[in-house]
Amino acid sequence: MTTAPALPVAVPMLCAAFLAAVRKWLPRFFIDLVAVLAALFNLVLCLWLLHVSWSKSIVYWFGNWFPRGHMVVGIGFVIDPMGATLAVVAAFLTLLGLIYSSNSMESGKNHYQPLMLIFLAAMTGFCFTADLFNLFVFFELMSTAAFALCGLKTEEPSPLQGAFNFAVTNTVGAFFTLTGIGILYGATGALNMAQMGMLLGSRHDSLALTACLFIITGFLIKAAVFPFHFWLPDAHSVAPTPVCVLFSGLMVELGLFAILRVTSVIFGSSFAGAHDPLRSSFLVLGGTTAVWGGMMSFAEHHLKRVLAFSTISHSGLMLFAMGVGTPKAIAGWLIYVCGHAAVKSGLFFTAGILLHRLRTMSEPALFARGKGLKFTAVLWFLGGCGLAALPPFATSIGEDMVSQAKHGSLELACTAFFLVSGILTGGAVFRVFMRVFCGWGDRGPSDRAAQVDELPEMNEEHRTIPFRIFAPAAACVLAGIGLTFLPDLDSMLLDAAKRVLDRAGYIATVYAAPQNAGMAVGHHGLKIGTMIAHGIIAVACAWLLASWAVFHRSIPRRLRWPSHMEGSMRWVRQLQSGQPADYVAWAMAGVAALGGALFLMK
Amino acid sequence: MLAFHLIPYAVAAWLFLCGLYGIVTSGHLVHTVISLVVLQTSTYVLLLAVGFRWGAVAPVFADISPGVVTVDPVVQALMLTDVVVEATVVALLLAMVVKVHEKAGTLSPDDLRMMRG
Repeated sequence: MTTAPALPVAVPMLCAAFLAAVRKWLPRFFIDLVAVLAALFNLVLCLWLLHVSWSKSIVYWFGNWFPRGHMVVGIGFVIDPMGATLAVVAAFLTLLGLIYSSNSMESGKNHYQPLMLIFLAAMTGFCFTADLFNLFVFFELMSTAAFALCGLKTEEPSPLQGAFNFAVTNTVGAFFTLTGIGILYGATGALNMAQMGMLLGSRHDSLALTACLFIITGFLIKAAVFPFHFWLPDAHSVAPTPVCVLFSGLMVELGLFAILRVTSVIFGSSFAGAHDPLRSSFLVLGGTTAVWGGMMSFAEHHLKRVLAFSTISHSGLMLFAMGVGTPKAIAGWLIYVCGHAAVKSGLFFTAGILLHRLRTMSEPALFARGKGLKFTAVLWFLGGCGLAALPPFATSIGEDMVSQAKHGSLELACTAFFLVSGILTGGAVFRVFMRVFCGWGDRGPSDRAAQVDELPEMNEEHRTIPFRIFAPAAACVLAGIGLTFLPDLDSMLLDAAKRVLDRAGYIATVYAAPQNAGMAVGHHGLKIGTMIAHGIIAVACAWLLASWAVFHRSIPRRLRWPSHMEGSMRWVRQLQSGQPADYVAWAMAGVAALGGALFLMK
Repeated sequence: MLAFHLIPYAVAAWLFLCGLYGIVTSGHLVHTVISLVVLQTSTYVLLLAVGFRWGAVAPVFADISPGVVTVDPVVQALMLTDVVVEATVVALLLAMVVKVHEKAGTLSPDDLRMMRG
């Protein structure tokens, strides 16, 4: 027990170092086995840590450097249920990714398995750490592993370009975060988040605001929120499938988790009050991102880019939920993150099956070629339903909890954004389903981005789909449904959310002070009827939108306008210029706007 | 004197803006990476400025008594970590640039148009 909290970070790192050192002399099977076992170990251990943390958050001080009085002298991990849940998701997705790619992606030429394990260790540490600088270090470790994984296929220039754009944009974000941390250290003299929060108190002068702005800018870039999101589609369209799964499934959401942690623990009292500028900004940014990402998702014709923009859209919904900010909304956020991770990973794995069998990711090139792949078609269709939040997918519970979190106009706005995002992203997935798996309509328009093709991850042509490739996709879709049926799900989620938002409780945990125990958790009454109605409306509208695009030739000319959303939004798509300079410029515009909003509403 | 101790912060802000300007206006991949390095140096200056104390000595307690005022050793450790982290990133980026040059034969992002749209 004593050292258990450090193991989920230490074990994958040690395994990664071992594999990187002796990789050349080991048989391929053994490398895969060590990597899979390390991920499996993490999954089991994190599940156990999650179980322990329900009753009491786990605090672990490296080298037993306990706090002296109010002074935190060591570096600590604080494992609360939300952090542990996200660590479980990280281990689960990494495990599936490693199983998917076992025996493929020629191991002699790259460091795939060690990089995946480092990525896993960094994500786990990111979820657990209680130290702000440590958070930055894990953030950078995660990013660096991600850059390398993204540009793994160095035989072609396009993965390199995608990885370069990703790396430059995210590194600029990391420097913003580091500058913010430096300012905050100068103001408080502390690095532990609890101590910083305590020393900062309710201070909200220019210095605290600037620090807050700089810190969350880095995380907003990671979370791919409009206008910080331009790097994400480039990175996703070239990364290997299991890497896309980790990017979309968790890495993006971890940016939001860090914002949640930092704003609640450090700036919790600074921004408390009736008109919280941070939350209002999150509502605006989140809503814009949800609609923008959805529209772009429908406009794309490269399967991985469609899914990448849908991730942006859903990340916007999650930010919107954080803007609502009540415990119920955060509980909905958590289950939405988990459900979205399962569904989106399932879709990416299914896209990987298509790449494996048909060797391209371009929608026009795939036209009607998926007709024989019955099970793959089912998985793809179910994934689309999951994105549109159809019950019993766990995403529908998230939508219901967030919508019910506050009454009044916010409830309406929330329902509207969830519906629009679900219809657009689900519609894009259904459109691909109709064209690729059913062969309906025509090939549809093509564009330059759709022609970015990656080399398939296997060398020789395959006529079958091996079990190790099909199983992860099926497991993800099943997990997306299975999460819904966990017993006591609503009260567990509410408990986790309340503990993340409970600033005093977090500080008391770090200092091992007595807490007012027995926080009333309560239950959330799911409105099952509304959920089903919303889900069916979203799926039906998405299906309608997709058929509109697919059958646009048989529709009277006057009624064709909804199908123009597919591909012809030229001026919008030109913003996605493929140049890191433009992406950073957009992010700076976002910083200026967010900063202006924070200072004006101070 | 008041303005004098603000100079390091002004330098940090200046470097930060220079780096950003370099990245935003860059038309060459190596230039982008070097601008990123300039941006990164601003964090070194900022961290060291935060921990600096006028008239203090280096925080090596081998030959000074524990009561002596020293500069903050924590920020120096942070800066060192920062150097290590960013050296990795820059090395990785430059390796990518070398590969891009090998495969595409150009270093201008204008000529790499695979990602448009």
